[in-house]
Amino acid sequence: MASLNITINDQKITAESGQTVLETASAAGIEIPTLCHHPALNPIGACRVCLVEIKGQRSLQPACTFPVTRGMEIQTESPKVVEARKFVLELIFSERNHFCMYCEMSGDCELQNLGYRYGLDHWMYPTYTQNFPVDASADDFLLDHNRCVLCRRCVRACSELAANHTLDLRQRGALTMLTADMNVAISQSSCISCGVCLDVCPTGALVDKRSAFLGRDCDCDHIASICSQCSIGCGIEIVTRANSVLRIRGLWDAPVNAGVLCKKGRFESLVDRRPRIFSPLKRLNDRHLPADWDGLLQLAAERIAAVAPQHLGLLTTTHATNEALNLLNELFCRHLKVRHVDLLNPVAPRPPSLPKGTLADLSHSDCILVTGTDPVNTHPVASMLIKRAVDRGAQLIVIEDRESGLAAYADQVLKTSETDQALRFGRRAQRPAVMYGNFVSKGVFTSLKKLAKAVYVALQPGVNTHAALSLGLHQHIDFASLAVLYVLSGEQHEQLNEVAAKITPETFVVVQASYASPLTERADLVLPMAIWLERSGSLTNTDGIVQQVRAARAPQGQSKPDWEILRMLTEKLGGKPFVLPNDIAHYAEHESFGKENPSWQK
Amino acid sequence: MAKVTIATDWLAACAGCHMSLLDIDERIFPLLEMVEFTSSPVTDLKHPPVDGVTVGILTGAISNTHNIEVARRMRSHCQILVAVGDCATFGGIVATRNLVGTEAALKRAYLETESTVAGLIPDSPELGVPLPIVTGVGEVVTVDVFIPGCPPRADDLYFAIGELLAGRVPKVLPPEHLKYD
Repeated sequence: MASLNITINDQKITAESGQTVLETASAAGIEIPTLCHHPALNPIGACRVCLVEIKGQRSLQPACTFPVTRGMEIQTESPKVVEARKFVLELIFSERNHFCMYCEMSGDCELQNLGYRYGLDHWMYPTYTQNFPVDASADDFLLDHNRCVLCRRCVRACSELAANHTLDLRQRGALTMLTADMNVAISQSSCISCGVCLDVCPTGALVDKRSAFLGRDCDCDHIASICSQCSIGCGIEIVTRANSVLRIRGLWDAPVNAGVLCKKGRFESLVDRRPRIFSPLKRLNDRHLPADWDGLLQLAAERIAAVAPQHLGLLTTTHATNEALNLLNELFCRHLKVRHVDLLNPVAPRPPSLPKGTLADLSHSDCILVTGTDPVNTHPVASMLIKRAVDRGAQLIVIEDRESGLAAYADQVLKTSETDQALRFGRRAQRPAVMYGNFVSKGVFTSLKKLAKAVYVALQPGVNTHAALSLGLHQHIDFASLAVLYVLSGEQHEQLNEVAAKITPETFVVVQASYASPLTERADLVLPMAIWLERSGSLTNTDGIVQQVRAARAPQGQSKPDWEILRMLTEKLGGKPFVLPNDIAHYAEHESFGKENPSWQK
Repeated sequence: MAKVTIATDWLAACAGCHMSLLDIDERIFPLLEMVEFTSSPVTDLKHPPVDGVTVGILTGAISNTHNIEVARRMRSHCQILVAVGDCATFGGIVATRNLVGTEAALKRAYLETESTVAGLIPDSPELGVPLPIVTGVGEVVTVDVFIPGCPPRADDLYFAIGELLAGRVPKVLPPEHLKYD
């Protein structure tokens, strides 16, 4: 790109051609106030708060959309500019109910901050009288039209980021209203409650119901972490106050999701109604009695040490940190040489010969073939990446015998028996990408492997499945031959009934879990595990990227982080001092944990 | 030197702004060396003196005809009129009445509440007549200084009085003293 010289506020600045005035100013550290602009969204110049004076231009121009040209002379805070901005703000404030005193967002509101900045201390225009509706129909958030400034950030986020196109504006001029679909309540609309609109709303128009009025941003702690609901590994910001988690927001600079989250990650992850296990439990006849950690671990260690490797079994969920999975591997597979090892989750196959693709490849692909997975329901953020690609013009071919949430967006929905047709689309494409999950059929997979130019994106079920696979924990278990079984079921809720039914009555079962389940009921010893909000460590996403998770609150009751329990058990078993979480960088460099090296700080 | 005279009065208000003024705490003693509070709704003397005062302070919104009278009386009796609080500057909480309309609000409050038996909307000639729209003071009289806040913090009020005593009329309070809530 060619660089060109301009001046902003009489300061000489080098800009890149193609940049807007706002981008150039921001890069040079000159702040121009904005309202409708958001760095993650395409600028539309709707609110006129960023007006600047450009020499030679007949009128003031919005900095967010105006491209720089050679020799441009710009004033960002001249009296004319300040007067215009104040006028714009007075108009915005006069349109709806912008009384701050009973607004959830007061103190965190971009409109309020602009009012302070430009000294609005009374109305210039007649007091508002019109009452606009409030749409509280959605489970997790509410839309208060009275606070809306029609900046269209949510509309753009809904279409550009979530690629869901639910929100839009209807009517014109003073009658303009934000609307979901064809003017229906949000709960009746195509909204998927991903909540990305909450993160971009500059005012109190879109508000999280659960955490409303529980604290301003400045009163809260903000913890950057990684979502632990699926294998995508979205960057999140956990907002807490006094050891309580208020809400979760997307991290805009996160490598995988770049700000977007889904309903599962943002809302549902904070509500789990299953009964927690708060204390170590020991079976006495038909009952579980609370026990102390040390005695229980000692007992577990003695039982484990007493059996031969061929009678010892290990089952683990992939809802566990790299550190925990690694300790399991070190302790059970290497130290105790256990023969029966398996996962509680299914996995998507990952043949080493296949050209490995990543979620990021979806953005560059012109033909995406999806099979054996339903990301709309299981990995919603991945479905957003696909829907964005479709919006951009990429072809979407769904090969599925079951129902697929992507069917509505697909160019072709084919049965697995019609895979040949899918191959024809794939062959015509320049950069085909195959996304597959654990339900991929052998036949389809074999056929799709023939696509010469394709990359293959495995969408793993579970959470840390990539790491568990890399560590070789996905093998086989023969329940009949087990005398002792160690199960790390963590927070998993699928498959537990089935597993509990397979365990023979003679087997001594140790379960490490966060919630009560049929499996913990069957267990002889239960080790209470902290949930994902309460443990630090790292996770490897489905692409193999290792990312750091941070605890947002202290473990509840006597529960402990997954890896800490295993570390203590290892010590009881007299194992050598295995690698602890602060040495994770060592493992991140290891091939099995992917190539990204997390900047681990304890 | 003669003391600077200040009179205060309230319109449709909750008294919170006056409480906030009292919240300047012990700073009120040195202030009283320089200032005489001639009249206020919380003292024996309610009305501003006939000769007028230097500074008039109004809190509360314009909600009925009586509020207009009080606002006009204060305006004509003071040199500098200060509107204090969100109600006086913007209409505030009182202005939420605008969302349903005065008639509906009166009906709900005096006739339809669950505990009302044989209710009656007050219409004594001594009372002010509710206005169709609640507004800030600025829509009725000329205001010199607006101090929003619900209520404005004691520090904001103390700062503003200090400025006035120093002979400065702040056009807009500086950002650290300008708050809407």
